[in-house]
Amino acid sequence: MQSNVWKSFWRHESKRQKGRIEHFYKELFLRLEISFMKKIYFAILFLFGLMPAGFSQLDSNKLPPVDKSPMDMSYYPADYPVLKISDKASEGPLVRIIYGRPQKNGRLVFGSLVEYGKVWRLGANEATEIEFYKDVTISNKKVKKGRYTLYAIPEPGSWTVIINKDTDTWGAFKYDTKNDILRTSVPVIQVKEPVETLSITFVKTDSGCDLLVAWDNTEILLPVLFK
Amino acid sequence: MPGLVFLCCCSDTDSKTGKPRLQIKDTAIAQAESRANPYSPVDVSPMDMSYYPIDYPKLKMTNSASEPLIARVIYSRPHLQGRGLFHGLLNYGQPWRLGANEATELELFKTVAVQGKKVSEGRYVLYCIPYEDKWTIVFNKNIDTWGLKPDSTKDAYRFDVPVKKTDNRIEFFTMAFEKEKNGASLVMAWDNIEARLPLQF
Repeated sequence: MQSNVWKSFWRHESKRQKGRIEHFYKELFLRLEISFMKKIYFAILFLFGLMPAGFSQLDSNKLPPVDKSPMDMSYYPADYPVLKISDKASEGPLVRIIYGRPQKNGRLVFGSLVEYGKVWRLGANEATEIEFYKDVTISNKKVKKGRYTLYAIPEPGSWTVIINKDTDTWGAFKYDTKNDILRTSVPVIQVKEPVETLSITFVKTDSGCDLLVAWDNTEILLPVLFK
Repeated sequence: MPGLVFLCCCSDTDSKTGKPRLQIKDTAIAQAESRANPYSPVDVSPMDMSYYPIDYPKLKMTNSASEPLIARVIYSRPHLQGRGLFHGLLNYGQPWRLGANEATELELFKTVAVQGKKVSEGRYVLYCIPYEDKWTIVFNKNIDTWGLKPDSTKDAYRFDVPVKKTDNRIEFFTMAFEKEKNGASLVMAWDNIEARLPLQF
């Protein structure tokens, strides 16, 4: 094996171990209700040098904590804000997606963490939001410009991608088919190198762009036409 | 004795609210992942958003939203990593993007009043000019941009707000709304500095 492959492997492996350790201690502390006991446990952990780095950082107790699955944003044209400040954007942005980025953390994702046949929020925390800055066509249907939520129903060979008009909500818990704008099926592409963090981005095509979703060993492309 | 102090500092939950404290993968992991992800690297300063009503998406999910949607801010959260806010990060009198990466975006879903001035509904970029005793908060119409180059010709409104020193030190830059008597305040907090922009509606 090439050395960079090994490096990559160990990087993933150490991250996975760290995830496990953090998970174990979080579970542990949730079960310990007496704060004195917590401090004793911390003392033991500290002595053994096992205390995960994240716990040593303090943040204000009344302001919102930093999310475990950080939020991110992708534009089409890709990196539109950077293009804009470098005077390389010829027109306005066309699409923007805002989503939470969960991590694989050593888990099997599709068929396990994300169950087959069930509506999945395609992200974490707040429902994933897609905004079209002008009318587009997806799977032969017109979609008017505006903000929407995006969901998916993963299956082993294909995903149903759903565009829904109920925005500013959390996860898929309140998902209601009656607010669907469209549903379309796209094939699953297997990727060799697993993707640790859920990634959503756009790829330019002849008549528009593909929305690309990648996580673990799975990738899907949803064609968006600007006409 | 130092050990005792240490122990007092590192409980993972807040004793008053029982809420878990900071939960983030450390910077080294974020950086490693940034290199490893071929699609879209993970930001070292993660993006976040805050709504007013507070936690609106959760309220909506549980059918407990009693007020309509008023505002949403989308910003990235740089962290101090041992640096002092005004010792190497920000300079008095120089515009600061109030975040990191993409320009910080405030969306108003209805027209509000700030310091007696009407601010129309819509999307704005927010940036700030910090001074020792006040911050100038600027609403700018040049949206969908990157934070480093605010275009001051598109400034829509400017408001001076006082700053106060806090007892807590905040590692990650934080923007959040807090309910007030006749509206809400947009709280901006980092290190031991806190500024509040009052919105009336």
